[in-house]
Amino acid sequence: MTIDFKNLPKQELFGQGNVGCKGCGAAIAGRQAMKVLGERTIITIPASCMATLGGNNTKTTWKTPFYHTLFECAPAISSGVRAALEIQGIKDVNVVSWGGDAGSADIGFQSLTGAAERQEHIIHVLYDNEMYMNTGGQTGSQTPLYAITSNGALGKKVHKKNMLAIMEAHGIDYVASANIAYPEDLMNKFKKAASKKGFSYIHILAPCHRGWGIKPEETIEVARKAVECGMWELFEVDEGKRTRTYEPSFIPVADYLKAQGRFKNLTAEQTAELQKSVNKYYGKGE
Amino acid sequence: MNKVLITGSEAAALGAKLAKIEVLGYYPITPAFPAMERLSKYIEDGELNCKFIRVESDHSALASVLGGSLAGARSYTVTNSQGLLLMTEVVYHAAGLRQPIVMGVANRALSAPHSRFPEHGDAVSQGATGWIQLFSENNQDVLDNTIQAFRVAEELRTPVMVNYEGYLQSHTLEEVFVPDQGKVDAFLPLKRMPALDVTNPRGVNTVAGPDVYTDYKYIQNAAMEQALELIPKVAADYNREFGANSCGLIEGYMMDDAEHAIVAMGSIVGTARLLVDELRKQGKKIGLVKVKTWRPFPAQAVNQILKNVKYVTVLDKNIVFGVGGALATDIKANLYGQGSMVINGAILGLGGGKCGVKEIKEAVDHTESSENKNRSEWIGL
Amino acid sequence: MAVKNLPIVPSGDPGALVEAANYATWRIFRPVITESAKVNPIVTLYCPDGAITVDESGAEVNYKLCKGCGICAKESEGIQMVPEYTGPKGVF
Ligand SMILES: Cc1ncc(C[n+]2csc(CCOP(=O)(O)OP(=O)(O)O)c2C)c(N)n1
Ligand code: SF4
Repeated sequence: MTIDFKNLPKQELFGQGNVGCKGCGAAIAGRQAMKVLGERTIITIPASCMATLGGNNTKTTWKTPFYHTLFECAPAISSGVRAALEIQGIKDVNVVSWGGDAGSADIGFQSLTGAAERQEHIIHVLYDNEMYMNTGGQTGSQTPLYAITSNGALGKKVHKKNMLAIMEAHGIDYVASANIAYPEDLMNKFKKAASKKGFSYIHILAPCHRGWGIKPEETIEVARKAVECGMWELFEVDEGKRTRTYEPSFIPVADYLKAQGRFKNLTAEQTAELQKSVNKYYGKGE
Repeated sequence: MNKVLITGSEAAALGAKLAKIEVLGYYPITPAFPAMERLSKYIEDGELNCKFIRVESDHSALASVLGGSLAGARSYTVTNSQGLLLMTEVVYHAAGLRQPIVMGVANRALSAPHSRFPEHGDAVSQGATGWIQLFSENNQDVLDNTIQAFRVAEELRTPVMVNYEGYLQSHTLEEVFVPDQGKVDAFLPLKRMPALDVTNPRGVNTVAGPDVYTDYKYIQNAAMEQALELIPKVAADYNREFGANSCGLIEGYMMDDAEHAIVAMGSIVGTARLLVDELRKQGKKIGLVKVKTWRPFPAQAVNQILKNVKYVTVLDKNIVFGVGGALATDIKANLYGQGSMVINGAILGLGGGKCGVKEIKEAVDHTESSENKNRSEWIGL
Repeated sequence: MAVKNLPIVPSGDPGALVEAANYATWRIFRPVITESAKVNPIVTLYCPDGAITVDESGAEVNYKLCKGCGICAKESEGIQMVPEYTGPKGVF
């Protein structure tokens, strides 16, 4: 890691005193991103853990303008915010919508695809805990194959919808995957996104220890395993140019999956099947 | 002040243009879209400095306008019927966030069965949302109400719907007096009140606990009650500035000695005027009460104007199922214990159904002959 | 009846949670810096609560903000999790 800690802003714009669970992966993602986005950022967050943990009554952890929006429409709200700033001649503000997997890929997808197609000058972040955690951990489109959830005790029967591919297909300025165990990579991607004049999409894998059946202290470790086993590829598509931003060490996928309670029923065949598809994706044979 | 022949859609668009709206979010729906097309043309022609957000749904239309308003811009949208229903979640939300958004509603019936024709069911469905709702009798009202709506919304930090009926108004040409831009600018000074502001950051819509939620709702309702005082003042100012004749909360017509009062809102008020004129010629002591402001409900003003009548016929171009017409329900609740007048509601003109002079006369006759006092009658089945 | 003094737009004061926070009661274990020089500054970006700082003068935990998740101790040397309560067995 070559993060220049000396020059990292000391200011904590988000996170301190947040009312999330201990070891919250979403809060980690927020803290890393805000170190790059800085004070002149307006962030809109649809119904989700991330919206809820931001504040209570008249107190909030945010030191930049933060708005807890309705579930379906954060990118539309952010489009309006950008329009209002433009009409007032305010040019140096990052406008960000920051949704969970449901608030981005499911109920929030309509407004997300709309804003992306319009090439709105905003950054949309999907912080992905792969289930609906704010309502107790139900299955959604971003829940991976075989994962057990609060309303799917037998595990998910279909695979995860590929949001990164879908967003890439919009032909937007910038698409990137990120992971909270790799803050340097994550922060570089936010830096790039903030420099774009059009739409950027950053999809962060951010484990939730409660939903994933891991210990709070394992949040980073498990996130790292997702990358190292190859199941969560770190890459970007910058104005159409696709680059892998980190070469994984290819630990067995079992190391990642077996670490989590939500995959406790995984059979040897299922694990082998997932290993095969990873191998195939990276051109390592079957 | 010049005189033009325009549709209600054009009057709405012109009102918004004169108010110099800055953010317009819109999703097409019949028959509201001509207002939006007119506005986007103003923008493209450089006559209006406004950001048009071509959203992908009605929900996002109001959401984008709400985002604009929260970031300090004067914001506007137009919709109706299915669009308004899809927006409903944002409608409540915007009122709770106290954003001075103005929305034109080209009233249209709700599905099912599918209909494209006028009535007030869409507006009535939003009667509890915390939006001020103004109704327009004619295209002049559409323009006047739109301009006044911004003043009321911004002073009270409460959003306003300006209702005008699909086709009957949206697509019908009428003569309209247009105020001068300079005077409108003076009438509507732009005061930015951004809630999302990097120089004054706040966490908007943080989760409210039971200890503060009731207080927030009390404060929101208090602003609605203040509207009952503010709307007539704004209308009086407007009339003075522009030599107009715009009504405040309600307006009586031939009510001084009336024994029978027709109460109505929207385009049917104009039709009822014709009937009142005709019956007055025959010597009947009948009058008309035009309700311009339906939300907040102008209880005192209504009571005052109806206190001496024997009969009240309330015309409702809407139906609240299992209850009756919305306006009749309000009037009855309001007059409870105030006298012994007969109050009959008439449901008519749903989904573009007939609601001419003949139908209104039928409703009036029914009220006076009715054996079943104080009930709703369906006209024109 | 007295109405509470609330902002017109329902909202919270920026950063007000930072001062109000006290997560001592959330912790079962607390992180203790055992060897400041060995603490990897990356933990400042891994901590969900902005509760740990590492600079020239060493590493420090703000125990009002720390929820005791244990991420810092897991990800870096020089930090150890120790039980917050040391009462009779069976109590904690
Ligand atoms: C219109 C609407 N439907 C349902 C809900 C209930 N709801 C709130 S948050 C949430 C799940 C959020 O899931 P996700 O976006 O994945 O974020 P997470 O909480 O997992 O971080 C749901 C279903 C709501 N607030 N609004
Ligand atoms: S235990 Fe968790 S909350 Fe406390 S300082 Fe370490 S990482 Fe932060």
